[in-house]
Amino acid sequence: MSRAAQGLRAWLLQRFTAIYLAAYLVSVLAYSALRDSWSYSEWRAWLGQPGMGVGTALFALAILLHVWVGIRDILIDYIHAVWLRLLLMAASALVLLTSLLWIVRALTLAAIGSAG
Amino acid sequence: MLKPMARHKPAPKFLNLLLIKLPPGGIASIGHRVSGVLLFLCIPLLAWLFGRSLESAEGFLQVQQALNSTPVMLLSVLLVWSLSHHLLAGIRHLLLDIEIGLEKTAARTSAWLVNLGAVLATAWYAVNLL
Repeated sequence: MSRAAQGLRAWLLQRFTAIYLAAYLVSVLAYSALRDSWSYSEWRAWLGQPGMGVGTALFALAILLHVWVGIRDILIDYIHAVWLRLLLMAASALVLLTSLLWIVRALTLAAIGSAG
Repeated sequence: MLKPMARHKPAPKFLNLLLIKLPPGGIASIGHRVSGVLLFLCIPLLAWLFGRSLESAEGFLQVQQALNSTPVMLLSVLLVWSLSHHLLAGIRHLLLDIEIGLEKTAARTSAWLVNLGAVLATAWYAVNLL
């Protein structure tokens, strides 16, 4: 793929993930605001539903992609020492991947717990 | 030989942040970046809290206590500003992408709405915390 097409792909990815992130966030925040309190079992059962689990895992994945494009743009703009830029990019990727796996792990455990 | 630039004064270059006067669109834009970085930096903490809250009943209780502690509450105020500014500036950006509100006055007004909206949302949240 050419460099220009890579740029377009990143641009599109940032926008499509933005739309999903906004839609998920606004609806979940609105729903949570209408409830006053959660017990542990309610919380776990809510996220253990297949739809919520998949939707939330996709949300975490969309965050990873969205943040990656944004952080990469910022590092390219402000960090000119190549070694430091690459170091920060690697660190960001590590943080994002670890967080994503941690969230997916928690969602999987909740789904298994609710099914069993 | 023509020197087209000769009659113009050189553009002022301020490196002092206190001397730089950004238009509302500039504030919305740099705020979009700053809030994005802040949100990114909060991800590990939020992912950890989320995982802990689902793991066990004790973890859930621990997270509830953590969320009611003063440092996390202060952090949440910053997070609310970041999230609301990033969301509003993002919606404005998407609309500009599809050429809605591109004229100067409209773009200025929407930038003001973004900057002010995020501050108002944060103030409303902070007041409700007390």
